[in-house]
Amino acid sequence: MRRIWLVATVLLLAGCGVEPSGVTDGGDAPTGVAPGVTLYFVDGQGVLTPQPRGSDHLGTITEAVSLLLTGPGTSGLHTEIAPTDMTRVVVTTTPDLIQLVVPLTVRDVTPLGIDQLVCTALGVHVQSGGSRRMVVRVRFTLATPESDRLRTCPLISPGR
Amino acid sequence: MDILDGVAAILLIEDDPLLRRGLQLALGRHGHDVRTAGAGEEGLRELRADLPDLVVLDLMLPGVDGIEVCRRIRATSEVPVIMLTARGDDFDVVGGLAAGADDYVVKPAQPTVLDARIRAVLRRAAGTADGVRVHGDLRIDTTALTVSLRGGPVALTPTELRLLLTLSRAPGRVFSRQQLLEEVWEHDYLGDSRLVDNCVQRLRAKIEASAANPEYVRTVRGFGYRFGPV
Amino acid sequence: MRRLGLRARLVVAFVLVTVLGAAAAAWSSAGSASAALVTATQARLCESIAGQVGAVAPQLTYPPDQEALDRLRAAVGPDTLVTYRGLRSGTDNGLATGALRAAVRNGDRLVTQRVTAGDRPWLLVGTPVMITAPDGTRTASGIEVYAVRDLTAVEAQIDDLTRSAATTAALALPLALLLALLAAGSVLRPVRTLRDTARRLAAGDLDARSPPRGADELAELTATVNEMAESVQASMAAMRRMQADARRFAADVSHELRTPLSTLTAVVEVLAATTDGMAPDARESAQLAITETHRLVRLVEDLMEVSRFDAGTAHLRVEEVDVAGAVRDCLRARGWLDRVELVAADGVESRVVLRADRRRLDVMVANLVGNALRHGAPPVRVHVRADPAWVWLEVTDGGPGLPEHVLPHVFDRFYKADAARTRTPGSGLGLAIALENARLHGGDVTAGNTGAGGGARFVLRLPREGV
Repeated sequence: MRRIWLVATVLLLAGCGVEPSGVTDGGDAPTGVAPGVTLYFVDGQGVLTPQPRGSDHLGTITEAVSLLLTGPGTSGLHTEIAPTDMTRVVVTTTPDLIQLVVPLTVRDVTPLGIDQLVCTALGVHVQSGGSRRMVVRVRFTLATPESDRLRTCPLISPGR
Repeated sequence: MDILDGVAAILLIEDDPLLRRGLQLALGRHGHDVRTAGAGEEGLRELRADLPDLVVLDLMLPGVDGIEVCRRIRATSEVPVIMLTARGDDFDVVGGLAAGADDYVVKPAQPTVLDARIRAVLRRAAGTADGVRVHGDLRIDTTALTVSLRGGPVALTPTELRLLLTLSRAPGRVFSRQQLLEEVWEHDYLGDSRLVDNCVQRLRAKIEASAANPEYVRTVRGFGYRFGPV
Repeated sequence: MRRLGLRARLVVAFVLVTVLGAAAAAWSSAGSASAALVTATQARLCESIAGQVGAVAPQLTYPPDQEALDRLRAAVGPDTLVTYRGLRSGTDNGLATGALRAAVRNGDRLVTQRVTAGDRPWLLVGTPVMITAPDGTRTASGIEVYAVRDLTAVEAQIDDLTRSAATTAALALPLALLLALLAAGSVLRPVRTLRDTARRLAAGDLDARSPPRGADELAELTATVNEMAESVQASMAAMRRMQADARRFAADVSHELRTPLSTLTAVVEVLAATTDGMAPDARESAQLAITETHRLVRLVEDLMEVSRFDAGTAHLRVEEVDVAGAVRDCLRARGWLDRVELVAADGVESRVVLRADRRRLDVMVANLVGNALRHGAPPVRVHVRADPAWVWLEVTDGGPGLPEHVLPHVFDRFYKADAARTRTPGSGLGLAIALENARLHGGDVTAGNTGAGGGARFVLRLPREGV
């Protein structure tokens, strides 16, 4: 009879408290560091081309798109986005969508130019740890059906 | 009339023929003149025809029961009755004594013993005669052996008379039942004290004004009986 | 364990089962709740740390300098260590284990480990910070983050859970006890009823029954006990009938025997008176008939006495008897006064009165003294002694006494110690009758020897006040 009591007590005490454990997986490792941000321009053949900038940190989508609007620099690539002094971009990120409000009209960009915007934004998003399946909507200043389209980046988004 | 010469006229009422004949023979050898009857009715007839000196009566009788026979005998005469009983410690004895029997003998009875009882019962004299004793309304003539109450005669059986004579011989003296059994019934020390009690009851019924508050024959609790004082 | 009663065992078993059940349920639920708590806390912490790192990572220069590392560490919080190659920021209090570090360095997942240090539980979280290329491939950046979080609060919560579970289990105890007592009571009540009935039956109340309730084993037992009582009652009734029959038989036999015996007694006396004129053969025959008839009468009288004792119809006619006087009368009547010495202890001579049946007392004394005179040598003494409650009559003789093998049987019916004495005048029932007579009075007769060289001693003891 005594022995039963002893075993029961031990079991009881053993179940209490927090026990040490071995190394356990805790989920995905965070990400988001990068030596710089990657912008997207167009090469001489009209192909969308990434251009890494050594900004020594990744930065936000806003910073990336704003930088994109400032032009390709002296890289040999050109941009299909009309130059503008206003480089302020409003970026809204929701779990389903990244919305870029650009200080441009739809006539200021070519389709490739739009891709530039989309890829730049998506690139930062992905490098920050976001999903490659994210979609982007670009809103132009003047109302246009182009403002409502949900876009992906041919170089980043999967499938197609 | 004293019957000390040994011959008594006895009526034996007994239903078993062999016992009847045996007792007749035996008592006859003791000098008694024995008549017999085989049943109660017959016995009562014999009694009426010729009164015996004593009746020996078996309690177990066919037809009219022995106790009833005794009662009927008592109703008409003071002839002494001795019962023959099967057992000594029984309702029979009490019933028979209450019906008026003077004594009883347990069967099988030795004729010698029965003879002694017969003689005892028939001995009417109790001690020496000392004239007439008068106590209140009671007058006892010890020579003539008669008793009268307020002038009228009282019919007593021999046993009742002997009891009265014994007690009144020493008025005020207490007699124990044992003493009375020895003196009146001539029984030994093993006598049945019920005989005494019964006889006292019958005597009281005849001479006392109130049986509950007796004047003459008084009970002394724990000791026995005494005569008076009146 | 001492032998416990039925009720106690039932209650203990019930309570034990209930409490153990409650304890097991409480313990297991507390256990799983604790585990869930720990898991949820851990997940929350991991998510929070990963989130904090991920939120600040895009702002960090890469390759990081000390300032970047410091910033990262600050974002994660206290008790955090951030390393990049040789650079470090913050501290993990030395708690990060080698295994954890290896997992972080060589893997691409966030890992955790629970350790105990300084009597407190800690959660170690370690993660590499990854670089995600635009096409989605991930590589280690070389930055490692180690965070240590105190799980004491969680442990406290778990302790609370366990304590409340134990309390609940403990609360089950009085409830279980109450229920157990009720249940035991309901089981035991019929058992107690049955026991009471059985007790009454044993005490002689044969009408006792208990109504069977329900249809279980207990009801069967009750029904069986009732049946048993019925059959016992029936047997008792049958036995009473048999006793009544026996009594009637004894009465009938008594009546039947007395009359022929009376006839024999009467005529044998006539014969005895006439033997003088007989031829020698006839005289001898007559004398034999006389003797044997007397003996037969005595035997039948004794048998009648014994049968009355057996049938329970023996009556005591109790009177005040003067002891010494009664003994003297008994001796005198049989002519033994000169052969027997009557010794009365002081005070007995002066009227010690006994309430007894005079005739039966005479029979007892006569039997004992007669035996002493017949089988023992003189001197034969009767010693009478009394105290407030009892009277003792001791009959002793100077003869050989009773042999050892005879003593236990001396009161048996028809037992004759000496086979050669078959023609003694006694019936063989004398001592048996003496014993029955003594018992009828509430007294006793005992047999023994007076000791070395002495003879037999029979002691008759009777109560002064009667039965």
